[in-house]
Amino acid sequence: MSERKSSRPALIGLALVASVAALAFYLSPTNSSNASQALDQAKSGNKLQSLAELDDKAPSRRQLDVQTWKTADGAKVLFVEARELPMFDLRLTFAAGSSQDGDAPGLALLTNAMLNEGVAGKDVSAIAQGFEGLGANFGNGAYRDMAVASLRSLSATEKREPALKLFAEVVGKPTFPADSFARIKNQMLAGFEYQKQNPGKLAGLELMKRLYGDHPYAHSSDGTEKSIPPITLAQAKAFHAKAYAAGNAVIALVGDLSRAEAEAIASQVSAALPKGPALAKTPPPVEPKASISHIEFPSKQTNLMLAQLGIDRDDPDYAAVSLGNQILGGGGFGTRLMTEVREKRGLTYGVYSGFTAMQARGPFMINLQTRAEMSEGTLKLVQDVFADYLKNGPTQKELDDAKRELAGSFPLSTASNADIVGQLGAMGFYDLPLSYLEDFMRQSQELTVEQVKAALNKHLSTDKMVIVTAGPTVPQKPLPAPTDKPAEQPLGVPEH
Amino acid sequence: MNALARRAAGLLLSTVCLPFSALAADPQPTHEFTLDNGLKVVVREDHRAPVVVSQVWYKVGSSYETPGQTGLSHALEHMMFKGSDKIGPGEASLILRDLGAEENAFTSDDFTAYYQVLARDRLGVAFELEADRMASLRLPPEEFSREIEVIKEERRMRTDDKPMSKAFERFKAMAYPASGYHTPTIGWMADLDRMTVGELRHWYESWYAPNNATLVVVGDVTPDEVKTLAQRYFGPIARRDVPAAKIPLELAEPGERKITLHVRTQLPSVMLAFNVPSIATATDKASVNALRLISALLDGGYSGRIPTQLERGEELVSGGSSNYDAFTRGDTLFTLSATPNTQKNKTLAQAEAGLWRLLEALKTTAPTAEELERVRAQVIAGLVYERDSITSQATAIGQLETVGLSWKLMDTELAELQSVTPQDIQKAAQLYFTRPRLSVAHVLPEEKAQ
Repeated sequence: MSERKSSRPALIGLALVASVAALAFYLSPTNSSNASQALDQAKSGNKLQSLAELDDKAPSRRQLDVQTWKTADGAKVLFVEARELPMFDLRLTFAAGSSQDGDAPGLALLTNAMLNEGVAGKDVSAIAQGFEGLGANFGNGAYRDMAVASLRSLSATEKREPALKLFAEVVGKPTFPADSFARIKNQMLAGFEYQKQNPGKLAGLELMKRLYGDHPYAHSSDGTEKSIPPITLAQAKAFHAKAYAAGNAVIALVGDLSRAEAEAIASQVSAALPKGPALAKTPPPVEPKASISHIEFPSKQTNLMLAQLGIDRDDPDYAAVSLGNQILGGGGFGTRLMTEVREKRGLTYGVYSGFTAMQARGPFMINLQTRAEMSEGTLKLVQDVFADYLKNGPTQKELDDAKRELAGSFPLSTASNADIVGQLGAMGFYDLPLSYLEDFMRQSQELTVEQVKAALNKHLSTDKMVIVTAGPTVPQKPLPAPTDKPAEQPLGVPEH
Repeated sequence: MNALARRAAGLLLSTVCLPFSALAADPQPTHEFTLDNGLKVVVREDHRAPVVVSQVWYKVGSSYETPGQTGLSHALEHMMFKGSDKIGPGEASLILRDLGAEENAFTSDDFTAYYQVLARDRLGVAFELEADRMASLRLPPEEFSREIEVIKEERRMRTDDKPMSKAFERFKAMAYPASGYHTPTIGWMADLDRMTVGELRHWYESWYAPNNATLVVVGDVTPDEVKTLAQRYFGPIARRDVPAAKIPLELAEPGERKITLHVRTQLPSVMLAFNVPSIATATDKASVNALRLISALLDGGYSGRIPTQLERGEELVSGGSSNYDAFTRGDTLFTLSATPNTQKNKTLAQAEAGLWRLLEALKTTAPTAEELERVRAQVIAGLVYERDSITSQATAIGQLETVGLSWKLMDTELAELQSVTPQDIQKAAQLYFTRPRLSVAHVLPEEKAQ
C-alpha cells in the first residue's frame, strides 16, 4: 500500500514538529558492492564458518490457522487465534477510500477522521478518555482503496468489553458534531500548508494527477485546499451510511480470543454498522500519455519520480512482477538501480522502484533524490537501467538470489500480531484465498527468468513513462564515469 | 518519528502500576551473562515465531565527540559496512540480504547500534559477521572518500533540506551549552568536510571493544545456544581499555536563551526546552518520574492536555507536542512545541502563551487522581503491546543498558512510578519549568527574514 497510516491523517506536517522534538536518530541504508556473488564467494571461500554450516533449507515460519466466516450482517471475517500475549488486534477495512470520493476529493478521509469525534453522550475528549483509560489504542485512516478503523486492547474481559462497546459505537454510530467537522477541516487545510515545503510531496501529487487523469486515483486522499471547505456534514453522514455498511466491511482479528469470542466480537461490531451491501469496485484507469514535467523548488536536491500504470491486486502476474521488481529496485541495496546510481556513481542516497497493487491498476514507480546539477544525467541513467532490464530481464543468478532472499524473509512477515492482522486485512479486502501466503511463496519459487521478463514486459514499457521532477534549475554537469573499482574515486565534492 | 522515538514513547507509556495480573503471571524469560572479554549479553526468549533479532550496542555516540570532530560516530557506523577481515566492502549486507535478513544500524547521542532480524537458524551468521567487524574493521581509505560524500548527501537530504529538522538542530545546539548533547549526530558540514579516515580508525580502536558493548538477542532461542554461539564468535576478541566516558552534565540553570530561525516553511512554530536531569543523572528520582508522567499528561494520547485544551478546546494550535527524553546518559531536556492555528488567525505568541498556561496550571493545581489513572492505564497496556515486537523489546533492553541503567528497570520502575503523587507532579513543575532553565525557538517562514 502506498497509503499513509495515521490516526490523525490530516496532520502530516504537524507530526513532523512532534518528531523532530524526539531523539535524533540516524538510520543508514546499508551499502553494498556491486557484486552479487558475495554469498557464493563467502561460502566457497569457507571464510564464514556459520555459512558453511547452514543448510539450504527454507526456514520455517509461524503457523497460522486462518479461520474465516461471514457475520449475519454480511461482513467477512478473518481470524487467527494467538494466545501468547494477553491482547488482541481488531482491524476493520472498508471499501471507503478516496476512490469513492466522487466529486468531493477528501470526503472519504474527512468522514473517517470524524468517527472518533462524537457518539451518543460522548464528545471527542470523552471518547479519547474512554479508550485511553482502558489502555486501548484506537486507530483510523483513509487511503485510496480503503478506510480503516482499528482497535488494540488488552484481552481481559473488564478491559475488552468496554473497549469493544465504545469501538462499535465509534465506527457504527458516529454523531458528526459540527464543531469537530469545522476543526478537522481547518487541520487539513494546515496540512496543505506543510505540503508546500515538501518538494517530494508536491512531485507525488503532480505525478498521480498525470498518471490517472480523470480516474479517482488521480487525487490525493487528502483532497485539496479547494475541495475540502465546501464538503458538508450531510455529505459525510451519507458517505458513512453507504461506505461503512457491514456488507462493505472486512473484519480481521488476531489475538488472545477463542473462536466463540471472536465470533461474538465480529457479530457485535458488524451489527453496529449501517446495513448495506458492498460498494461497486473501482473502474480500471485509462493509459496516460508519456510526459515529463518539472516543479521549480529551491531545494538542494532534485526529486525524480518516474511512473506508469502497474497491476491490480488480482493480477496473475503479481508474483512475477514483484520478484522482477525486487531485482530492479525493490530490495534497497544490491539492486540494479542502487548499484548503477549509488554504488557506481554516488549520485543518490537511495533509489527505489515498486509496484503498488491496488483494486484497480496501481502505479509502478521509481523514485530518488539527487544533486540538482546532475539531475538530468541521473534521470537518463535511471531510464537506461530500466530499458536494459526490460530488454534483457534478470540473470539466472539474480533470480535465484531473489528467490532465496524471499524464502528467508518469509518468517519475518508473520512474526507479530501486528504483522498478521495487516496480512489478514489485505487478504480479506482483496479477496485473496486463505492459502495466499503459501501460494505466493510457491509461485515465486517456481518462476523462470523468461517468465519474469515476459511479465515485466507485459505490464511495463519504456514508452509509457510519466515523469515529474521537483528541484531548482541549475546548470547541469555530466555524470561521473562508472567504476567497479572502489580504488577510483568517482566524485569530487558536490557544490550546493 | 522513528523506532527509537516510538520506543522512548513506549517506555514512557510502559510505566506504572504493579497489580496487573496478566503481566505478573507471565514475565518474559530474560537472561544475562558476561563473556570473559567483558561483552555483556542479554537474551530474552520469545518463542511465538521462529525468528530472532540480534543487536550489538556500543557505548559511543555523538555526545562523546569533541569540537572539530563531530559526526565521527555516525561516519564510523557507515564504514562498518565497508569490510573486515573475512569479508569485503558491502559483502556482509549482501550475504544477509540473500538470507532474507533485515539489517541496519543507528547512531544517536549516546550509542551506536547494529542489528539483524532473521530466521532463527541463521543467528550464527549474524554473530560471525558482527564479531568480525568488531575485531578487524578494514576502513579502506578509498571507501571512506566515497562514503563521506554519501554522508554529506544524507546531511543535505535529512537536515539542510528539511526545514524543521534544521531548526531543531540549531535549537538543540543552543539548549545544551555545556554538554556534548549540543553536537548533531550527523556532524556539522565543516567537520564532515575535513574528516579523515585516520580519525575514524582512532575512534574505532578507542571504543569498539567487547567490554564497551552489549549484545542483545530476542526471539526463538534458548540462553544456552546463544551463549555457545556468542562464546564461539565473540569470545576470541580481546578485551581492551577504553577511555573514561564522562557523563554529559549540563548547567542546571544556564539562563534564558532565545533563537529566531527563518526556514523554508509556510507555518511558524515555537519550541520550548527546559534543562532537566535524566533518570540516570537525577538524585531525586521522584521528580524525574514526575516529569515522565507530566509528558504523558500533556501529550500521552488524544485525551492529553495539549490536544484537548489547545488543539480542540481553544483551537489555538493546529498541532502541539511534549517530549521528555528520560533515558539518556546525561542531563536532558523537557521539550514542548506548537504550531499556531493560522486558520483561526492565531499567532506564534498566542501559541507560546498557551503552552505556558498548561505549564503554569501544573504548578498551581495538582492533577486529579482520575487523570493520573488514565495515564497509568495506557502505561500498563503499553508494556504488554510492546511485547508484540521482538525488535522493540531488544531496543528497550539495549538502550537501557547503554545509557548506564539496567534492563531490569523495565520491571522494577513500575513501583517507583506507581508512587508518584499528584503533589510530586506539582513540585516537579515548579522546580523545572522556570525561565533560567528555558530555551525558546521561534521558527518563522523565510519571507519574513528581512
